[in-house]
Amino acid sequence: MLLALAQWLAQDVRFFSVFNYITLRAVLAAMTALFISFMVGPAMIRKLAAYKIGQSVRSDGPQTHLVKAGTPTMGGALILTSIAITTLLWGDLHNHYVWVVLLTTLSFGVIGWVDDYRKVVHRNPKGLSARAKMSWQSIIALVVGFYLWDAASLPAHTELIVPFFKLVVLPLSAAVFITLTYLVIVGTSNAVNLTDGLDGLAIMPTVMVSGALAIFAYVAGNAVFSKYLGIPYIPGAGELAVFCGAIAGAGLAFLWFNAYPAEVFMGDVGALALGAALGTVAVIVRQELVLFIMGGVFVVEAVSVMIQVASFKLTGKRVFRMAPLHHHYELKGWKETQVVVRFWIITMLLVLLGLATLKLR
Amino acid sequence: MNVDIQMKKCGTQALGETHVRAANVMATPNASVRFWITTMLLVLLGLTTLKLR
Repeated sequence: MLLALAQWLAQDVRFFSVFNYITLRAVLAAMTALFISFMVGPAMIRKLAAYKIGQSVRSDGPQTHLVKAGTPTMGGALILTSIAITTLLWGDLHNHYVWVVLLTTLSFGVIGWVDDYRKVVHRNPKGLSARAKMSWQSIIALVVGFYLWDAASLPAHTELIVPFFKLVVLPLSAAVFITLTYLVIVGTSNAVNLTDGLDGLAIMPTVMVSGALAIFAYVAGNAVFSKYLGIPYIPGAGELAVFCGAIAGAGLAFLWFNAYPAEVFMGDVGALALGAALGTVAVIVRQELVLFIMGGVFVVEAVSVMIQVASFKLTGKRVFRMAPLHHHYELKGWKETQVVVRFWIITMLLVLLGLATLKLR
Repeated sequence: MNVDIQMKKCGTQALGETHVRAANVMATPNASVRFWITTMLLVLLGLTTLKLR
């Protein structure tokens, strides 16, 4: 909306042309989302606490977590509100990619919201059943996959880019493209959700990965830079940098309240939505494999759960002291803040490695 | 500051209050992270000067 206003004003005052630059709007989006979250955050936390929308803590988890019972949850609604308002303010609303990522994010947010609502308000510990949750996630992810396949006008829109190998580009058939899109979106969504088990653990890697994806989106949407770096040119993808900026800003502001000891948790409403957002952006900018590298912490957390479950079912033995992986380290004696900050450091390194693929190819 | 110990001292654990609110202070990790966030914000502001000039 502000872009349209700036373009209209630029007809008379040349200064307003500066808002045509995606880079500036991405930074302003981050700041706007941050500002909105800071303004709304304290009131929302007070409301959540007043309505007793508090987190229940798993009884078989680390004993140190029992004190967290009752901490307000569903703070992800704050993140999503900030992201949506900011994207509508600073994004180019004629760009269909902006609507795809925004609607996907909000749709996954609704799934998480229903799950959280049933858990904390209806006191139903199971929330939304695993089958229902997976079914809705699958439907949305498949719709996104079908749409992106249908909307693709260039081969670059549906090719799989292999990091570090400039000449290895795999053209995908419709079935493979849609399946890959499905796996990336649903996988990332659930992986972020599994990671969201310690104060600040999920949100900071999300901020870092979205920051890096903003760079990938900007480069992919710029004809000159994409040609120079040898990555596919995807017209319109640059606008996703604004959306990623909004995620980073809203995420940082949320971390303000979510840092140990947390005043609020994001809940499934935030975790599922943010994961889906990262997955969808990665699919559009054709960097699914780079997301796999940069979101290594999310991947390892999800894989640790799979290994634990498979091992217990097959052999009756546990590989980790507890899954997801962050609980394993807690039970090994690491303090919660140590686990969190060390996982952040690992994510920083992985994000740098991911960004290196822009040049090392 | 050990928030858990402080909570036990003031007996708020049984009331189900949030762990940070019960302490009624800003714990050290919280303060550190908020200073990091402030720094990131200032860096972002600095970067905008590349374009806004």
